[in-house]
Amino acid sequence: MVFGLKDFLFKGGARSPANLPEDVRQALADWRATKAPALDGPHFHTRYVVIDIATSGPRAAEDELQGLAAVGLPNGAIQPADAFALDLSAEDADDAAVDRRLTAFLTYAAKAPLVTYHGPFVAGFLQRAFKERLGVDFQPQWVDLAWLLPSLFHEKSMVTLPLDDWLEMFGIAGSGRRDTMANTLMLARLFQMLLVRATGKEIATAGKLIEESQAATFLRRNH
Amino acid sequence: MSTEQQAIGQAEMELRQQGSRRVAGSTQNFLKLHAPFDKMTVEALQLFADKAQLTFYAAGSEIVGPDSGNVRFFYLIESGKVQARQAGEVTVTEYSILSLSAGESFPIGAVTAGRPSTNTYTAVEDTFCYQLPAEDFLTLMATSREFNLFCTQYIASLLNQSRQQLQLQFAQRASEQQTLNSPLAGIGSRSPVSVAPETPLRAALESMSKAGVGSLVIAGNDRKPVGVFTRSDLLDRVVLADLPQTAPISQAMSPAPFMLEEHATAYDAMLAMATNGIRHVLVTDAEGKLTGVVSERDLFALQRVGLRQIRQTIESAANVEALQQSAADVRQLSFNMLAQGVGAEQLTQFISVLNDALTRRVIQLNLENHNFDGIEWAWLAFGSEGRDEQTFSTDQDNGIVFACADEAAVDGLRQRFLAFALGVNKDLDRCGFPLCKGNIMASNPQWCLSLDEWKEQFSQWIRVPQPEALLNATIFFDFRTLFGKAELAEAMRRHLLMQTSSNPMFLRCMAQNALDVEPPLGKIRDFLTDLEPDQPGKIDLKKYGSRIFVDVARIYALATGVHNTNSVQRLRLASKRLSIRDEEINAVLEGLDFIQLLRLRHQYLEGEPGRQGDNLINPDNLNELDRRILKESFRQARKIQTRLKLDYQVH
Repeated sequence: MVFGLKDFLFKGGARSPANLPEDVRQALADWRATKAPALDGPHFHTRYVVIDIATSGPRAAEDELQGLAAVGLPNGAIQPADAFALDLSAEDADDAAVDRRLTAFLTYAAKAPLVTYHGPFVAGFLQRAFKERLGVDFQPQWVDLAWLLPSLFHEKSMVTLPLDDWLEMFGIAGSGRRDTMANTLMLARLFQMLLVRATGKEIATAGKLIEESQAATFLRRNH
Repeated sequence: MSTEQQAIGQAEMELRQQGSRRVAGSTQNFLKLHAPFDKMTVEALQLFADKAQLTFYAAGSEIVGPDSGNVRFFYLIESGKVQARQAGEVTVTEYSILSLSAGESFPIGAVTAGRPSTNTYTAVEDTFCYQLPAEDFLTLMATSREFNLFCTQYIASLLNQSRQQLQLQFAQRASEQQTLNSPLAGIGSRSPVSVAPETPLRAALESMSKAGVGSLVIAGNDRKPVGVFTRSDLLDRVVLADLPQTAPISQAMSPAPFMLEEHATAYDAMLAMATNGIRHVLVTDAEGKLTGVVSERDLFALQRVGLRQIRQTIESAANVEALQQSAADVRQLSFNMLAQGVGAEQLTQFISVLNDALTRRVIQLNLENHNFDGIEWAWLAFGSEGRDEQTFSTDQDNGIVFACADEAAVDGLRQRFLAFALGVNKDLDRCGFPLCKGNIMASNPQWCLSLDEWKEQFSQWIRVPQPEALLNATIFFDFRTLFGKAELAEAMRRHLLMQTSSNPMFLRCMAQNALDVEPPLGKIRDFLTDLEPDQPGKIDLKKYGSRIFVDVARIYALATGVHNTNSVQRLRLASKRLSIRDEEINAVLEGLDFIQLLRLRHQYLEGEPGRQGDNLINPDNLNELDRRILKESFRQARKIQTRLKLDYQVH
């Protein structure tokens, strides 16, 4: 399966929608037609989706996306009922099934703002997968913890740090290796803490938080 | 909806379920580390993990309070610290402030009853909580026996778990001390005498004689046993069978000997002997090669210490030296009982019973040199001994009461009792009951008094409750007859209760005194560990723990005319007369029981052999469960203090 997927994902370039199974095409059309949720309400009323991915290596252009794990925070809380896990290295699915699973993620996320650590890295893999596999130009709103954390918790660090350093500073480090979902849950907890801090700094809506994330990324990259 | 769309829907549902399972799995990993969840069934954990959401509360933020309306969640602290503060006026039944940490939950009462919380819960550190919606909480209560028990009998269920842990911990120790649980590898002969099957009978008997053993193992070159030969076989299988001394031993041995592997326990061996009517069990390694022999006698040696035997030995001891051995046995047996998970109340009473027997025997032995015929007198125990609450480290607190109608003869009689008491005090010291540092001993003329003198002494303390009188009251009012005329002590008791009931001022002073020391609960930290300046980081479990209960018990006993001296009995009986609810007093008693258990355990585990153990524990060294119970136990101490405060209007 992995090889088949590789052929599709990493050699073929953008896939023509005509080759997609009918149900996938229909679902994608529905997804495109849905309106993205408003981002001007308080964080508590915004559903964020925290995501982490598993890859075969660091380069989005060459390495494979092996899986993703996501949890939704519909009201600032991590809800077990609002979670999603996709393992692409499993060998039990045919191509149509893989198409359906990737599409299912789009339906699950429902255009909510995505929260992750090192947004460009995650975005790169997702963009390529959705492009090559489904012909979708995946451009969600990103909240990047890697850049936001030093921006909002500058008393802890002024510069970007490896994730584990942040976890340790916040005292929420678990022991041992984490799988993708465990990592996502850690990110979600950092994000919960960050939301409280952001609200305190009058970054009270998702829209503002996304702006802040973009600004932090830009400023810190360039200055 | 078309079937195609259903296929996408199906995929999404499956992947959502997969995600949910993993999130729930992470919650379960947390739950498994904490009581009572670690004892709950897989289904119950699953229910909790599927429904509980994880929420963050920054330091300083309120989580739930009286103003939040009916409680919608059961909160379980994942990490951080939460402070509970009672809203409004302090009532008798609750603490005013307490701090909760990871693994603790709230507000159990309110969420069960579906009412607003009476406390305000505030995060004092950054805190993550699992929040289980009220309806799922109720489902869990209804479906999980463990969880229900936990919520309804919070402290009792924790205590039970702690006892089980204790048993495990002690099983280790106990096996080191060779009980019936110890593996055969450490028992009996490690280098048994063995010969080959073809060895001539005479040579085999010679090697038995030379080694001075009563049995012989017959094993092949591979060291695998094929038979046993014992002295009793000599009669039946050799002499009476007319077997020539040149015959190989294999003809005389009992073939197919009973064998156990090294990791089998002494108990297994004992069972095998009883079932098969044999006196020896061969011990082999995993390959079946001979490594030892365990005899019936080896097993008896393990069981040397037993309650009945100790009592018999004490009661028939001919001298103090014999009693010294018994004192050591008492200690050993109490340790074994501690290891078996016997509760503190029973254990301290048990220690008292045996120590009583020991003291009585010491008194009897000393009476051989003194003649008090025709005189009514009694040997009294005071303090913890008087209350049947002795721990492993107890010094002497005793006195004598005697009846003497002729006032002029009192002093002469006292001298005779003092001489006798000195001998008893010294002998008790030799048996491991150190002399009392405060000289509260029968050999002190102050505490060797006639009945009238005792009554007068009591009256004086009660009339003029100065600090010293109050201190004495806490020791001397807990008295009990160990030997002699119990009627004398009863007369003292009647006098005491009459005096105290007609002097309410005295009890109020006692109450004030009892409230001088508070349980070491911190407002933010769990425990205050800096109360003893020379013992930083430690808590004196006697001074700040059990004594609080004991003092309150004494006051209520005196106030309600309870004759008992034991604190548990005092509290039970007094609470009936004061119409305190059973659940309430049971929680208090469990708190006391746990603190006593910790003291016993500490004295045993930390104490150096031959040295008096202390009552100083470092709470950081306790496991999480024990810390929680200790905290709850201190809360119970605070609770009865609060009641005392209200009852006696002490502020």
